[in-house]
Amino acid sequence: MYINHLSLTNFRNYGRLELDFGPQATLLYGANAQGKTNLLEAMYYLATTRSQHAALDNQLLNWEADLAEDPLVVGRLVARVERREGERLLEMRLIREQQGDQISFRREALVDRRKVRLMDLLGNLRVVLFLPQDVQLVTGAPGDRRRYLDITLCQTDPVYCRTLSRYNKVLEQRNAALRSIVEEGKGRDVLPVFTEKLVDLGGTIFAKRASFVAAIAREAQRIHYEELTDGRETLRLHYLPRLYSASYTNGSDSTAAQMEWAEWLESASAEQAAERFRHALHEARETDLARGRTTLGPQRDDWMFMVNGRDLGSFGSRGQQRTAILALKMGEIEWMAAETEETPVLLLDEVVAELDERRRALLLGYIQQGTQAILTATDPSMFTDAFLEQAQTLEVQDGRVVEGKSALV
Amino acid sequence: MASNVLPRSVQRLIDEFARLPGIGPKSAARLTFYLLRAAGDQALDLSAALHDLKEKTTLCSNCFNITEQDPCAICLDDNRQRELLCVVEEPLDVVALERSRAYKGLYHVLHGAISPVEGIGPEDLKIEELMNRLQHGDFGEVIIATNATLEGDATTLYLQRRLAGIEGLRLTRLARGLSVGGDLEYTDDITLTRALEGRQSL
Ligand SMILES: Nc1ncnc2c1ncn2[C@@H]1O[C@H](COP(=O)(O)OP(=O)(O)OP(=O)(O)O)[C@@H](O)[C@H]1O
Ligand SMILES: [Mg+2]
Ligand SMILES: [Zn+2]
Repeated sequence: MYINHLSLTNFRNYGRLELDFGPQATLLYGANAQGKTNLLEAMYYLATTRSQHAALDNQLLNWEADLAEDPLVVGRLVARVERREGERLLEMRLIREQQGDQISFRREALVDRRKVRLMDLLGNLRVVLFLPQDVQLVTGAPGDRRRYLDITLCQTDPVYCRTLSRYNKVLEQRNAALRSIVEEGKGRDVLPVFTEKLVDLGGTIFAKRASFVAAIAREAQRIHYEELTDGRETLRLHYLPRLYSASYTNGSDSTAAQMEWAEWLESASAEQAAERFRHALHEARETDLARGRTTLGPQRDDWMFMVNGRDLGSFGSRGQQRTAILALKMGEIEWMAAETEETPVLLLDEVVAELDERRRALLLGYIQQGTQAILTATDPSMFTDAFLEQAQTLEVQDGRVVEGKSALV
Repeated sequence: MASNVLPRSVQRLIDEFARLPGIGPKSAARLTFYLLRAAGDQALDLSAALHDLKEKTTLCSNCFNITEQDPCAICLDDNRQRELLCVVEEPLDVVALERSRAYKGLYHVLHGAISPVEGIGPEDLKIEELMNRLQHGDFGEVIIATNATLEGDATTLYLQRRLAGIEGLRLTRLARGLSVGGDLEYTDDITLTRALEGRQSL
């Protein structure tokens, strides 16, 4: 699939933008702080309904429009996406409204001009995003790694996405029920109802995450071994499901226990996973009641990278971590293409600059095979003449995009 | 709108309107000035309607629907199937079911759904009253018709547990399916899955 047109209104530093893209490579270049990353963010946002870095969605609205006296400010992101089964028009609206001294913010999603729920936007455009800070995934907090799992899975599996969103709501209700038992001594008869729902939805999430990590690990491990390290290093990705209560491990190595459960989950059905989750929640009942919240479940999951049998986060060099992330992302492309029988759009922010020649060639190889890629760089001269000749080059200047100077090619 | 400029009585109505859901200060002011200028008795009619709303209505002591007479007309109607009971969340759900003309049994209004996040537990709903009715009445079937939300589902699950012990009582719930006039292509998969599960032979 590929994006053939992008239109932005009041998004970040773009007041108004209409931009055509070709089906292959587009290089966006320009000095710092001109809006290159913002453009990738817009496409990522349409694919995932989330920003890779804005903490709040209302930060995406153009400041100047936001400062204007107008009580209604609307930001619009529209992409025309060419897919195997035809064209789709995707739109996201960011709406800030002022009534008296109350300011409200909301979002609306549209597919082919029809209003849909936000989550129904997902899956219409699929992207794989490469960022310089991706390497933090190896060493960062579990929440970042879960977010990666969820966003990647949600792009390809709408059932997963809805299940996850329902799970989070049930979890909130179950935690509130636990708190009310602790604080007010009431709600004991309600708890089993939410436990039952949690178990159902949680089983599906555990099972889907386990098979996703296993599948993407296969791709990433192969790429890492064969193409990135010449057979010198082996990468392993391990899913660490929080499917047991603390009493299960009894202080022994919990990572090992989690790896075992992950392996079990790979061949388990959602119902079996739910059954196991029910059992674990039952064992954790006293702990949950003492803490007033649900202490296990997918919301506490993690996953990890190992290279040559060691935890990459604790023992890996910076270079090894970068290589693993590259393998993961390339694995993600392969996995998504296999899963959906359509190649995703690659969004590459600055990353090409950090790669050595060989890896750069490997990555750009995908683009030669007919995958759309939008790349950013401050300096286009790092690209080969051959690449620049077949790529569309555009210069980004202070929230505007102009045709690249032909002198550069 | 500086409050010291307006007469107290005008400001008071603006403030009251602004407390209503979905009405901001601007709409509140617009409504107030509309009523101020409106011809004839419109403002007084409104005031009488508001007065009656609280003075004349009460909850039916049987089914807990809103009514002007207790027991309500539905509970008193001998032509209804008295062995059939439909449990709903809100009085407006009764209105919807009555509009369909497809249901001829009695009702029980819970006045909400279980939601610990909002501090609403079974004891805040008309559930003990329901148990009472079922134990003393002669019902053959209870249709649980809560909303298709998480809270509605949880309430159904809760009632299912509570009512399971009552002998000779059939428990059912409404089928979940496609909306009439809805596009299959744009139907979400949870609805589709449920519609498939509830499929009927032709
Ligand atoms: N909500 C907003 N409204 C207007 N401008 C914004 C908004 N958010 C960010 N900006 C501006 O956008 C610019 C950053 O754009 P972006 O991150 O896309 O730059 P870039 O071209 O990728 O630069 P670099 O090469 O440094 O990565 C900043 O100058 C920032 O002031
Ligand atoms: Mg940037
Ligand atoms: Zn009644």
